[in-house]
Amino acid sequence: MGILKLENVGYRYKDAPKDKYVFKNINYEFEQGKMYAIKGKSGSGKTTLLSLITGLEKCTEGDVLYNGKSLKKMNLDKYRNTEIGIVFQSYNLLPRFTAIENIILSMDVSQVKIKNKKQRALELMKSVGLSEEQSKRKILKLSGGEQQRIAIARSLSYNPKIIIADEPTGNLDKETESEILKIFKHLAKDENKCIIIVTHSQSVCDAVDYIYELKK
Amino acid sequence: MYILKNSFISITRNKGRNISIGIIILVIAACSTVTLSIRNTANNLVKEYEASHDIIGTISFNRGQLAEKFKGGEDAKKSNIEAFNNIEQLTLENIKNYGESNYLKNYYYIYTTSLNSDTLTKATDSYEYEVENKETSTTSTTKTTGGQNNEKSKGGPNGAGGERHTITNNNTTTIITRSKEKFQSDRNLTGDFELDGYSSYDAMTDFISGNYQITDGEMITDFSSFECAISSELATLNEIEVGNKITLKNPTTKKTYDFVVKGIYKDNSNADDSANMYSQSANKIVTGSTVIKTLVEDDSTLVTNITPSFIMQSEDVIEAFTQELKDKGLNEYYTLNTNLDELKNATQSIENVKTFATMFLIITLIIASIVLFVINVINIRERKYEIGVFRTIGVSKFKLTIQYILELLIVSIIMLCIGCLCGVFLSKPIGNMLLQNEIEASKTADEEVLNNFGRGEKLDLPMEMNIRGVAKVEPINSIDAVVDVQVVLQLLVIGILLTIVSSLASMISIQRFSPLTILKERS
Ligand SMILES: Nc1ncnc2c1ncn2[C@@H]1O[C@H](COP(=O)(O)OP(=O)(O)OP(=O)(O)O)[C@@H](O)[C@H]1O
Ligand SMILES: [Mg+2]
Repeated sequence: MGILKLENVGYRYKDAPKDKYVFKNINYEFEQGKMYAIKGKSGSGKTTLLSLITGLEKCTEGDVLYNGKSLKKMNLDKYRNTEIGIVFQSYNLLPRFTAIENIILSMDVSQVKIKNKKQRALELMKSVGLSEEQSKRKILKLSGGEQQRIAIARSLSYNPKIIIADEPTGNLDKETESEILKIFKHLAKDENKCIIIVTHSQSVCDAVDYIYELKK
Repeated sequence: MYILKNSFISITRNKGRNISIGIIILVIAACSTVTLSIRNTANNLVKEYEASHDIIGTISFNRGQLAEKFKGGEDAKKSNIEAFNNIEQLTLENIKNYGESNYLKNYYYIYTTSLNSDTLTKATDSYEYEVENKETSTTSTTKTTGGQNNEKSKGGPNGAGGERHTITNNNTTTIITRSKEKFQSDRNLTGDFELDGYSSYDAMTDFISGNYQITDGEMITDFSSFECAISSELATLNEIEVGNKITLKNPTTKKTYDFVVKGIYKDNSNADDSANMYSQSANKIVTGSTVIKTLVEDDSTLVTNITPSFIMQSEDVIEAFTQELKDKGLNEYYTLNTNLDELKNATQSIENVKTFATMFLIITLIIASIVLFVINVINIRERKYEIGVFRTIGVSKFKLTIQYILELLIVSIIMLCIGCLCGVFLSKPIGNMLLQNEIEASKTADEEVLNNFGRGEKLDLPMEMNIRGVAKVEPINSIDAVVDVQVVLQLLVIGILLTIVSSLASMISIQRFSPLTILKERS
C-alpha cells in the first residue's frame, strides 16, 4: 500500500477550453523507501501535476490520496508543513530573509519538535555544500544553484515523509547533482522517505527506482 | 511565536516602507492626541460647569392663562374676581411639601415680608408729609364726591375700596357708605422696608451672581436669629454701621423687632437706569427665613411672599417633578420654569469647540484610514510573492493575516507613543488658544463669589457656607492635566482599530490569493 496514490487524476486550467486537459486519467502510486522520477517534455504538465500532489491546486477529476485519505478532506497547511517537503522549480525562498532564516522558518512552521534548529539548519546546509558564511546572506545575494540547494535543505529540515522536487538539479553541475542525488538516495534507503523528482536529466532517471512519463 | 518573530524580521528588513507608514501614524497620533485632549478638556469644562451650576426650577404665576379666562364687560366682573380669588398664594407649608422630593437635590426659598420703622428713614425719592386741611362744608347744593382710598400700597389681594357719597339735601345730611368689592392683583407688601428671609446661602442668588456685594462686615450667619444685612444706601442715610441695631415695627400690631446689622451690601446691578436717587434694593433688608416665620407667627395677617427654588437632580427629572407638583396640588395657574436653556447657552461655546474637535478627529481618522489602506494595498501587491511562499510552506491564511497585522501594529504602537508625546506638547498651546476664554471665566467666577459674601480673605469657611460653586469645585487652571490615562487609552484603541481596519486590505488579499498563481506570476 503506497503512501501517496493518484486515482484517475485529470486537470484543466480554468481559463482553458472545456475539453483541453493538461492531462487525464493519471494513476500513479508512490511508496516509502523508494525514489521516483516524473519525466516529460516541457509543457507536458509536470509542474501542474506536482501542484496537485502538494495540494496547491485541486484536481478537476479524480483524487489524490495520502495514506488512503483524500487531500480534499485534509488540512492542507498541515499537510504541506509537516508531511511533505517541496523543492520548487523556481525555489520559492523568501528574498528578504537570510538563507538560514528561510530554513529555520520552515522548521518553525512545521511545529515538529527539533531541538537545536540553528545547528540542524547549518548541518543541512553543509550537506548540500553551503558554508556558514553563505547561510547568513540574504537569498538574493546567492546564485541560482545556491538558492536551489537552500530550497532542498529547507524541504528536508522538518523531516517530512515525502520529498517532492521540481527539477532540483536543473541549475547544478554534474558534481553537485550527484551529491544531491546521494542525499536523496540515503533518505529513501536509510530513512524510508518517499522521493519524487521531476526531471529531464538522464543521470537522475538512472538513479531512481521508478520512472513515470507524462505524455501529451 | 514564530509569527511574532517573522513580523520583527519583516519590519527590520523593510525599513523604508515602515518608516513611511510610521510617519503617517505619528502625524495621526499627534493630531488625535491634540483633538482628544481638547475634546476631553471641553467635556470637563462642561461637566465642571454643570456640577457648579444647578438646574433650578422656580414657580411662576402664569398670567397668560388667567388672562384667557378673564372677560370684558360688566357682567363678567364678578366671575373674574372669583376666578382670581380662587388662586391660593403659595405658603411656606406648600413649598416645604413640594421641596420634599426625590427628584430634587435641595430646595431653598426667599420668604419676604415688610415692616415699618419709627427710627429708620426709608430711602426714597418721594416724600409725603401731612398738610392740615380744614374744610367746612356748608353747601346746600347737591354734590357728589368720590372719595377714593385706592392707594396701591394699601391694597391687599382683595382690598376693599370704599365710595362715599355725601348728599346734602335741605340741610339734612345723610351719609351713605357703600362698600365695593374690588379687583386688585397687586399683592404688594405694605411696609416701608422689605425683609428678604433667605432659607440658605444658596438662595442668595443676587450675592452669588455679584449683583449685590457685601462691602462692610459680612453676610448673616444665623438664619433664625434677628441678624440682617442692609444696603449701603440705607446705612448712609441713617448713619448705621456694622454691629449697630435697627428697630423695625409691624405696621398693624405696632410690635417692634431689633435686628443686629452684620453686613452692609452694595447694589452693583445697573439694571435700573432711571435717574432715581436710590436703587431698587435700597430698602431691602437681608435676613433669615426663620425670622420671617417668627414675624408671621406673631401676626398672621402680615402680607408675605415666598419665592422657592428647586434644585433638580438632573435634566431628566424635570418632567416628573412637574407632574409631582401637580399631584401635590399646585394650582394650574402656576408653572415650573427652569434655567435649563440658560445653562445650555452658557456651555454652548465650549460645546462648539468640542464638536469642532470631534469633527476634526473624525476627518483625521477617515483620511488616515484611507491612506493606511492604500499603503497596505500597495504593500500587499509588493509582497504577493512573499505571501505565496508563506502559503506553500504551509503557513495558514489566518496566521499569515495575524503576522501582517502584527507588523503594522508594532510599527503603529511605537509611533503612536511618539506621536502621543508630540501631541502632549502641542495640545497645551493649541488647547489654551481654543479654550482660554472659557477657562478664565470658570477660574475667576468662584473667587468672586466669596468676595460677594464679604469673605474674600477668610479661607476657613463656616460649615454652613455651602454655596454651590464655592470651595467645592476646583477651578480648571490649565488643560495639560487632561492628556491623561484616558486620552492615551482612547488613542491606543483608535490606533489599534485603525491598524486593523487598514489591514483589511491584506486580510482580504491573503484570503483570495492562490499560492500557485502568485508564484507563477513571478516566474
Ligand atoms: N495558469 C495556466 N492557465 C492555462 N494554462 C496553463 C497555466 N499554467 C500552465 N499552463 C499550461 O499547462 C501546461 C503544463 O504546464 P506545466 O508548467 O505543468 O509544464 P511543465 O511540464 O512543468 O513544463 P516545464 O518542463 O517547462 O517546467 C502548459 O502547456 C502550460 O502552457
Ligand atoms: Mg515545470
